[in-house]
Amino acid sequence: MRLLIPVLITALGLQAQVPRASEVQERRLANGARLLLVERRGPTAFQATLVFQGGRAEETPATAGATDLLAWALYGTTWPEDLEPGKAQASLEALLKQEEGLLEALRLERLRLRRDPAATTQLASLAASLGEVQARLQALCSSSPLADAYTARGGRQRAEATADALVAQTELPQEAFEFWCKTEAQRLRSMQLSRFAQARASLTTELRIKGIQGMALLRGAALPGHPYGRDLADYLPALEALRWSELRAYAHRALRPDRLTIILIGSFNLESALPLVEHHLGSLPLPPDGEEAVLPEIPADLGDRKVQAALEGGRRFLAGWRIPPRNHPDHLALRMAAQLLGGGQSSRLQARLARQKGLVQLAEVNLDVPGGRFPGLLVVDLKPADGHSLAEVEAALHSEILRLQQEPIPQEEWQRALAMLEADHLRILDEPSALARALGMAWAEAGDWRSMELDIQRLRLLAPEAVQAAARAWLTPSHRTKVLLEPTPGASQDPVEKELTRVLKALAAIRIQDLAQREQLVAEGIRQLRMLNPEERLRTLKLLAAQLPPEKP
Amino acid sequence: MRALLLAVWVTLLPLQAQPKIQRFTLPNGLRVLHLEDHEHPLVRVRLLLRIDPGDTPSGRQGLSLLLLRMLGHAETADLKAEDLDRLLEESGIQLVSSLNPEGLSWQLVARSRDQDRALGLLGDRLLRTLFSSSVLMTQRLAAAQLVEAPGDLPQDRLQQALQGDPATRPTQASLGAITVEDLLAFHAKVVRPDRAVVVLHGDLGLEQAKRLVLLNLGTWTAQEPPAHSVQALPIDPDTPTPTPGSPSRMPLPGSDLRIQALAPRPGDLSPETASLLALLIPGDARLQPVRMTLANRQLLATLDAEPGTAASAWSLFQGRLASFRDRGFTQADLDRARRAWLAGRSLDSLHPEAQMESALAEVLGLGVAEARVKELTLEQLNAGLRAWLDPAAFRIGAAGDPEDLKVLPKP
Repeated sequence: MRLLIPVLITALGLQAQVPRASEVQERRLANGARLLLVERRGPTAFQATLVFQGGRAEETPATAGATDLLAWALYGTTWPEDLEPGKAQASLEALLKQEEGLLEALRLERLRLRRDPAATTQLASLAASLGEVQARLQALCSSSPLADAYTARGGRQRAEATADALVAQTELPQEAFEFWCKTEAQRLRSMQLSRFAQARASLTTELRIKGIQGMALLRGAALPGHPYGRDLADYLPALEALRWSELRAYAHRALRPDRLTIILIGSFNLESALPLVEHHLGSLPLPPDGEEAVLPEIPADLGDRKVQAALEGGRRFLAGWRIPPRNHPDHLALRMAAQLLGGGQSSRLQARLARQKGLVQLAEVNLDVPGGRFPGLLVVDLKPADGHSLAEVEAALHSEILRLQQEPIPQEEWQRALAMLEADHLRILDEPSALARALGMAWAEAGDWRSMELDIQRLRLLAPEAVQAAARAWLTPSHRTKVLLEPTPGASQDPVEKELTRVLKALAAIRIQDLAQREQLVAEGIRQLRMLNPEERLRTLKLLAAQLPPEKP
Repeated sequence: MRALLLAVWVTLLPLQAQPKIQRFTLPNGLRVLHLEDHEHPLVRVRLLLRIDPGDTPSGRQGLSLLLLRMLGHAETADLKAEDLDRLLEESGIQLVSSLNPEGLSWQLVARSRDQDRALGLLGDRLLRTLFSSSVLMTQRLAAAQLVEAPGDLPQDRLQQALQGDPATRPTQASLGAITVEDLLAFHAKVVRPDRAVVVLHGDLGLEQAKRLVLLNLGTWTAQEPPAHSVQALPIDPDTPTPTPGSPSRMPLPGSDLRIQALAPRPGDLSPETASLLALLIPGDARLQPVRMTLANRQLLATLDAEPGTAASAWSLFQGRLASFRDRGFTQADLDRARRAWLAGRSLDSLHPEAQMESALAEVLGLGVAEARVKELTLEQLNAGLRAWLDPAAFRIGAAGDPEDLKVLPKP
């Protein structure tokens, strides 16, 4: 009996202090899919994640956007009509084929009209036919959100398209586990995609609304010709031409069992869960091997690149350095470098550029942009504070990079960065959806889910000199691309800037004949204004406005 | 011996697996909820400080936002704001503060070995009152920028413009009027233990939790408000007061048109009705092409349309919302929603934050009771739907080409 207390104390103590990602159990299914299972005591629900390796990086220009569409149309919802084979499905499929034909005919008709606006058109009759088919489709499809098979069972699901994977996450009450296995197998068998048209319309609208983004400009300039550098907004015509049957064919090729990892977290044990998973998901057919995608290799030292652009939104300075993929020996050191530079309020960029010098309002550092399977980017995103120019911000960042490369890293700072990374890791272990995603992305990016835990162990063994060496090797001007963003004159939401643009334009119209010179003067005036603090801006505006002739009544 | 050991283990496991809410109150009036969970060596803390709309004097909108920012940047004689951040980060402690409809909230996550330091630093951040006017100036500017330019995308700005009650939304003028004295008076009024609730979750027992809270927040006492009292600013008759239903217009030359209507959750809607409506309304295909989503307890209807179709888009938008509201739900819809809600409660067991949220909602009277969900009638559900989608309470806005915006009805 005396034994009991020490045994319990030891067991509870161990349980309390040791993070246990090592509890992950792995099995391979007959068709090559991987199963990772993490047992948790207690939850009356489970978390199931499907990770398909590939993602946006493996899309061709003709199939650009396919992963996003699949996240939306295949994994966004779980409608019974997409899952249940039978007569209803046969008529649904026939209608979807008709809808596909009419959508394509309408697209071609619009293109024809664009080339020859005077031509006679069938646009109205085609639109009417499409409306009719879509009304019949709507009658066959569920309308209430509670018709969704998972929502009706109290569950929820979400899907995400990343550069390296398609990730679909579901949470359901524990008793629905067998239902989940059956449903997911059926989803992959049927690939019905009944909401394809809505998904494509929503995605194109979203892309149009977002417009050109600074980060997309940076990716495009830093990784030219590589799918990682692609901006989906540039591929709208291809997306609009992508047909329902083409997306289904793409899905059959891309969502193969041998490129799938299933991650289960909950009150499972392998003995009870494995047979069900094997029976349903392990029996999915393995399509014949397709052609391996060959991706271009971009030399990391492509040369220093610079993009200047006028966009909607505020001023920003972005710098991206081409870095090696996640499984490269230097990657971990660069992760630590990113943490030292921008991880937390006491990081170098926050402490020195934001707090001490007041140069920036916001400083962010992101690693593996847009993904980590292939060489990607380490990105520093800085938003200048009022009264400071982009050039000042750029120079200050350059100093910080040189400091990282040349000056020894203080022990206290090193320990702080390590503590934050360890605590982040622990928080991920504690949150099932974050843990599943981290395991899945470690597999999709580095080729091994164990790297999620191994990385944190290796970080503890890393020496500060290794970080400096990696910074010297990779964070160099020849690996760098800079993007300087200024708002379009007149497009700013700042009322003072709007008014100043108006006043400058009026003054320029009086004094300068040449239109190009006028535009240049206004742009330069706005640039100068942004260097001033708010009070100085107002004073300048008043001074300039006073030079305008009085308005005629 | 082995059997006994096993029996003890079996008894212990469910105790650890199903965190039960335990409540206690400190002598200073601070209410504490405790959920014990030893799955990982982590402790989570949520501290909510309730703020009522009446706490903010007229003309000083933004006091809560500014107080939150000032608490994050205020300094004491021996501890600067950046030192506090460094101490937090040395232990990998995550501390996030936010302003939400219930009040000011601090969320803290720390390794269980750092729980003392974590709660001590939270207490330090909360109770510091050394506000300098230079920090106030900086934070006032930062808060104004946050209010005036919340996002780079115009569509984000549109949605942001619709958020929050227009009558209580901070403006540059109201932020500019706030003084250090106002902040001190507001701090004394609202930063009181009897207005706060603390939720602790994770790797600590009840006794440990009591000791921890008592040690770090037990000395927190309500302060007497300073002699200075905040005078409400006289309302300038020339300043237009935004009213519910007044549309925001964002001109974006050449862009597609986006129309949005934000429906705040009615104050008298029961949590049970709101929970079932939250399952039934967002994503209903009968609203298409209007999309309905739920965020921060508010429904947001969105319609995107091509340029040049403003008149028909506006009429379609209104028509869809009106017919959806008038049609209502059926008994079968209610039964399905009830089943889904009952089944879905188990999902909280996966998320420590959700368990804390649920415990907090219960204390605030916002918790959903199973018995009342079962008793809810179809009439109550449809009355709730009509109240929530009442066009008179909508905040409507649009972004798009100026020519399209001209076609939309005037505010």
